[in-house]
Amino acid sequence: MRDLVRQLRHNRKALIGLLILLLIIGAALAAPWLTQYAPTARVGRPHQPPSAEHWLGTTRLGQDVFARLIYGARTSLAVGFGAGVMITVLGTVLGIVAGYRRGLVDEIINFATNIVLVVPNLPLLLVLAAFIGQASPWVIALILGLTSWAWGARVTRSETLSVAQKDFVKSAEMLGEPAWRIMALEIFPNLISIVGINLIGSVIFAVITEATLEFLGLGDPNAVSWGIMLYNAQNSSALTVGAWWDLLSPCVALALLGLGLALLNFAIDEISNPRLRTGSRIQRWTRLVRAGEGRL
Amino acid sequence: MRFLLGRLAFYVVAFVAAATVNFFLPRIMPGDPIQIMFASAGSQLSMENLNALKLTFGFIDAPMWEQYLKYLQSVFTGDLGVSIKYFPLPVTELLARALVWTVGLVGSATLVSFTLGSLLGALAAWRRGSLFDTVVSMLSIFFSSVPAVVISLVALFVFGHSLNWFPGGYSADPLLDPAFSAEYIGSVVYHGTLPMLTLVTVLIGGFAVTMRNNMINLLGEDYIVMARAKGLSESRVLFWYAARNALLPTFSSLAIAIGTVLGGSLVTEVVFNYPGLGNLFYQAILARDYPVIQGQLLIMTGAMLVSNLIVDLSYVLLDPRLKKA
Repeated sequence: MRDLVRQLRHNRKALIGLLILLLIIGAALAAPWLTQYAPTARVGRPHQPPSAEHWLGTTRLGQDVFARLIYGARTSLAVGFGAGVMITVLGTVLGIVAGYRRGLVDEIINFATNIVLVVPNLPLLLVLAAFIGQASPWVIALILGLTSWAWGARVTRSETLSVAQKDFVKSAEMLGEPAWRIMALEIFPNLISIVGINLIGSVIFAVITEATLEFLGLGDPNAVSWGIMLYNAQNSSALTVGAWWDLLSPCVALALLGLGLALLNFAIDEISNPRLRTGSRIQRWTRLVRAGEGRL
Repeated sequence: MRFLLGRLAFYVVAFVAAATVNFFLPRIMPGDPIQIMFASAGSQLSMENLNALKLTFGFIDAPMWEQYLKYLQSVFTGDLGVSIKYFPLPVTELLARALVWTVGLVGSATLVSFTLGSLLGALAAWRRGSLFDTVVSMLSIFFSSVPAVVISLVALFVFGHSLNWFPGGYSADPLLDPAFSAEYIGSVVYHGTLPMLTLVTVLIGGFAVTMRNNMINLLGEDYIVMARAKGLSESRVLFWYAARNALLPTFSSLAIAIGTVLGGSLVTEVVFNYPGLGNLFYQAILARDYPVIQGQLLIMTGAMLVSNLIVDLSYVLLDPRLKKA
């Protein structure tokens, strides 16, 4: 675990990703100090282009786009991380239990996982959301968390299968440690990079899917979030009337958040699988070898 | 053969699972399920039609399990009810009309992005650490983590509205009559290009990253070293030794990616106002046309299962080890 953190610090992709993420989190937390406008208040004339007064212009209802963007970041981040944590916890627990316990438990969990994997996720979520009606961001986070754990469970299970064969697990069993203790303290720490990748991947998925559901009109239209901004911009035909700032601001924000998270994910992948790494250290080493000075 | 039969049985169970969601959802929601399902019908439906709809969805005077069986029976006999918005059109007919457009869009986009993405990923792994690798990896990561909504909206803004290179809606010029003529087909291609390219952008990153990582893991194998030691040309080692084997796991990831493809096309179609399944879904949601919404889940699950089956079948052909099993 500490090793992972140390290696992340030396990975340029991880640093850039983290920087982007911190920037967005910072803006979300500091929203009241960054703007004088309330996100839902009518503060100007409709569809004003960006100006010194309204940095990113106004919406058709005369709301300040920048204020909506940074307050909306709170919702998008909270849903993303909330649902992401839920997906990861469910996937990890089910994966470890299935992979370590084997037998009937494994059969059941594995079967359920495979079923959930072949039912297309977005249509299923759309059907759920359609019956719920105008789902608030929290309801969306909840249904995302409950329906999207299958991928993580499958990856964690296959990794658990190989870890469970290692000597330290066998000796813990020999010592008579209870199963939950072996799963939590012997197996779990060895899956930490998989869990990390799963977590960040799930956060990306949750952010994207929340925005998509809201864009498609299944969210609560009064909520302040990036998906609702897209929905309102699309519904007020922002593109046709030339109010590009209304539509492109949440687009850029979503792209930036996705990029930051993806960079982090890629970095963890590289650290846990050193063959993938092509960073400066390996290059330096190959250069040294070529120059005949390489020392192992 | 055993392998395929096992898969087939599994797909039937998966399809029933999707139908089960459809059956129980209106019944676990607070309130009267019949009211929920057909609330938007208003006075459009006559008593007779409403009763036929109720029967299709298993709302009969009987215990729950009998209702459930009745619903499964309707589903498996291809009766998905009638649309409430487009009354009296049957849901299956609406879906079949839209399916043609989606299959064309999704099929061509998957083909292009899989081929191009795998090629880029293989080349990036081959020149690992080079500028080419960095650019390909970065762009792949970026495009696979940006929502399809965002990519579609930006593409429409830049190429549809600002540059005016492509039309911003419909599958063909609405003034033309559908016919097997060069003019009509040209119009279909012209209207489909931007949504197709958008979908390719959404998908290509995932394929490129998977292929690159598979390749890098394979490049350390002994048989690659051997191929090089024999003095084979670089391109022969790359395509006939490394890429060929790296493609196998990528191909199986394609089966799961099809879910993403369908999800992506759903959004892209809405943004570009393309008359496929996605747009039909969107219109149904706006009108709370539940028979169509539920039919969508079934047909999209069906599409996913059929494409998984195709991948399974070709997997048997590609991986000789499976033929024995």
